[in-house]
Amino acid sequence: MSHHKLEVKDLHYIYPDGHKAVNDMSFCIYHGESVGIIGANGAGKSTLLMLLMGVLFPCQGEVIVGDVHVTKKTLPFIRQRLGMVFQDPDDQLFMTTVYDDVAFGPRNYKLEEKEVENRVLQALDIVGILHLKDRAPFKLSGGEKRAAAIASVLSMQPDILVMDEPTAGLDPKSRRRVMGLLKSFEHTRIITSHDLDMVFDLCERTIVIKDGEIAAQGLTSEILVNAELMDSCGLEVPLALQNCPVCGIRKTVKQPRKKGNDETP
Amino acid sequence: MSNIINSLYNIRLLDDLARKETAIHKIHPLMKLLTTVVYLTVVVSFGKYEIGSLLPLFFYPVMVFALAELPVKPILLRVLFVAPLIIGIGILNPLFDHQVFYLGGITISRGWVAFFSIFIKCGLTVTAAMLLIATTGMDGLAAALRMLKIPRLFVLQLLLTYRYISVLMEEVARILRAYSLRAPEQKGVHRNAWGSLAGQLILRTFDRAQRVYEAMCLRGFTGEYNTGGYERIRVWDLAYLAGWVSFFAITKIYNIPMFIGSLLTGVVK
Amino acid sequence: MHMADALISPVVGGVMWAATAGVAAYSIKKIQNDLDEKKIPLMGVMGAFIFATQMINFSIPGTGSSGHLGGGLILSALLGPYEGFLTMASILTIQALFFADGGLLALGCNVFNLGFFSCFIAYPLIYKRIIQKGYSTQRIFGAAMLAAIIGLQLGAFGVVLETLFSGKTELPFGPFVALMQPIHLAIGVVEGLVTSAIVAFVWKARPEIIEKASFGVAIGNISIKKVVTGLAIIAIITGGVFSWFASVNSDGLEWSMFKTAGIEELEAPDGIHQTMSAIQSETAFLPDYGFKAPENEQEQGAVEREESWPAVSAGTSVAGLVGGAMTLAMAALAGMIIRLVKRRKKRLAA
Ligand SMILES: Nc1ncnc2c1ncn2[C@@H]1O[C@H](COP(=O)(O)OP(=O)(O)OP(=O)(O)O)[C@@H](O)[C@H]1O
Ligand SMILES: [Mg+2]
Repeated sequence: MSHHKLEVKDLHYIYPDGHKAVNDMSFCIYHGESVGIIGANGAGKSTLLMLLMGVLFPCQGEVIVGDVHVTKKTLPFIRQRLGMVFQDPDDQLFMTTVYDDVAFGPRNYKLEEKEVENRVLQALDIVGILHLKDRAPFKLSGGEKRAAAIASVLSMQPDILVMDEPTAGLDPKSRRRVMGLLKSFEHTRIITSHDLDMVFDLCERTIVIKDGEIAAQGLTSEILVNAELMDSCGLEVPLALQNCPVCGIRKTVKQPRKKGNDETP
Repeated sequence: MSNIINSLYNIRLLDDLARKETAIHKIHPLMKLLTTVVYLTVVVSFGKYEIGSLLPLFFYPVMVFALAELPVKPILLRVLFVAPLIIGIGILNPLFDHQVFYLGGITISRGWVAFFSIFIKCGLTVTAAMLLIATTGMDGLAAALRMLKIPRLFVLQLLLTYRYISVLMEEVARILRAYSLRAPEQKGVHRNAWGSLAGQLILRTFDRAQRVYEAMCLRGFTGEYNTGGYERIRVWDLAYLAGWVSFFAITKIYNIPMFIGSLLTGVVK
Repeated sequence: MHMADALISPVVGGVMWAATAGVAAYSIKKIQNDLDEKKIPLMGVMGAFIFATQMINFSIPGTGSSGHLGGGLILSALLGPYEGFLTMASILTIQALFFADGGLLALGCNVFNLGFFSCFIAYPLIYKRIIQKGYSTQRIFGAAMLAAIIGLQLGAFGVVLETLFSGKTELPFGPFVALMQPIHLAIGVVEGLVTSAIVAFVWKARPEIIEKASFGVAIGNISIKKVVTGLAIIAIITGGVFSWFASVNSDGLEWSMFKTAGIEELEAPDGIHQTMSAIQSETAFLPDYGFKAPENEQEQGAVEREESWPAVSAGTSVAGLVGGAMTLAMAALAGMIIRLVKRRKKRLAA
């Protein structure tokens, strides 16, 4: 299944104002993997995702999906393979009803209306908001919006899901639901987040970014516990791995997450 | 501040109403649009001193209200909201038009007749437009516009504006709240902050537009707006249009109240 | 000010609709030639922006009152005239539908008054001319101020003409103009102040946005001329067609006769008409009914007499009142019966 591989080689990106947002990044993500990308505010995570999706084009280096290079010409193909969920669902849900929004992508690929309908209903069913299909996006709650945004990408049946902060601004229950949803996917997943507990929970592998460069990459269970590394990158060890504030007992890495960690102050 | 909340409430209300599933809601959007246009044309085609022949046109909104199970109060409140302006213009009629005539022994100024005529027309036209949207919804209307061959570009842009009104209004509400909390004595936004307050919002709006554009491109947008298939027009939809149009035509050609009235008074005599 | 449906006649509404549709079609063609699909979401979201900023009260220094942003000029300045015009059109459409501001028939008038004048007259002929010399805060101020005032003056004059041609309300030309123009001078000043403040801010923060808009699309004199001649042709043709359709009940005509003759009801030239008018003005519920367009009386005489048959008898005014009341009562009754039946059905179903 090598065509689901996503490879980044010597990636450089400089914003028109001269800001070097991505500086010599290289990594490879394999089929079915779930990879977390973490880093402080302004580290360059969103920029990196834009480069992966071909919204921005690198000044140097390349992005390869399967064995196709991301260029202007291959964009239609790339965008069928990769689906991206935006940081702010309001940017993504631009149609007047949830149904039309989820149908937007398939319709642009000129599918039969019957097939469009199948895909829309299936995508809405997967994220569990079939009952909201005729609602206007502005009448959804934050969690429902997020689910709708994910559905709007699923209806394109991508192989790789790219998500920018999927749990930002959600209440604990909605966050759990979205996490459960993401966990259930078999797609290759690339997730950026400041929610390190989620990354710890969902991603086997983690890439840490600092000032546009890769500071470290490896198994999540090794990276997130490295207090020194985390600190130098403007991050901290997830709460789930910190000493228990009540009894002071240090949790071990292998220890499974307990329910109720969200409530730890 | 309160008018933002009012406007948002209004949009949401109409959007909610449009998702009901009554007989009227199920009628094809294009037929409802055409019916409304014919209705409006007939209403405004009556001269400025005509009141009697306008009255049968009340049937249309009353029937739609009843059949579509719409709440009367919020929609009529909206109509009252625009009324002051119309009253402002209409009230000049009695001032400028002093001719009088006699009606059953009472002297009536023509100016007042013209005023009431405008007032009734205002009520009917405003109600008809709101009933259209409350029974069709923005997406239905967009489909109707597309069937009328209105360019996709305009329809898509109309839908986008509609979609982002609530997002931006909420943003404005937040900004104004933040502003007023730190400027308690001011009624509006001070001149010093005009540029930066609205300007910041524009910059954010541009960034948002950029992100929306990216989100569209990522899902295959290439400048074409692809709608799904259209709902088919059924015989019943055509009958709805034909029925109302003939009713409007009859009220336009014959003065129905006068007819009823002379029948009745004739009988009484 | 928004024109309302209740104030216009079908002829005026139709002509303005046609003119607006013409300009819109031209704008769409122009934009499509540019092929910058990035502008579509931008126009949509900026439309929503104008909508939202119209809710902001900008307090006017030294007056204690506050003003609002109209939008036509700033949209042209930020997006370009064609985009600005189309965006104004969707804003006004939504306002007509959801907020009962203006109306569907008056939409053509409103888009023309608020969009055309600022996007296709004030923007290219005033704003752009001044700005062409290069951007500076003072120039932005002067250009926005002048363009906003002139755009709104033209728009206000449009309202006056449309209202008068429609003849639905009794407003002599002089006082109406004297009322409208100064009000819109004040509105224009506020519009100019707010627009220049915003444009200046955006220009300082992100100069590329402003400069791209004004230099990207070339809107020379040729296209303006084209637009104007196109409009004139559309207006004449549709005006002719609509007037022909509406000749039996031509309200626009009524107004022009009113202007030229000085009185509304022309003295009818022949005897029958005179006696009829005498009877009618005394008795009729609708005194001006059947007295329009007397110059083509030969053909219409028969129709007129037929049409006004209920008005001839002395008891008609009473009949009119009774009939009117009955009609309304019937409408209300029908509505109530439907409601009752529906409610009963629901209760049975439950
Ligand atoms: N359009 C732009 N023009 C210039 N610089 C930009 C632009 N967008 C982002 N940057 C800069 O690039 C850097 C990386 O931004 P990016 O949005 O990728 O950060 P991020 O890691 O996603 O941050 P956050 O966690 O806050 O979302 C930042 O320093 C930012 O200021
Ligand atoms: Mg980011």
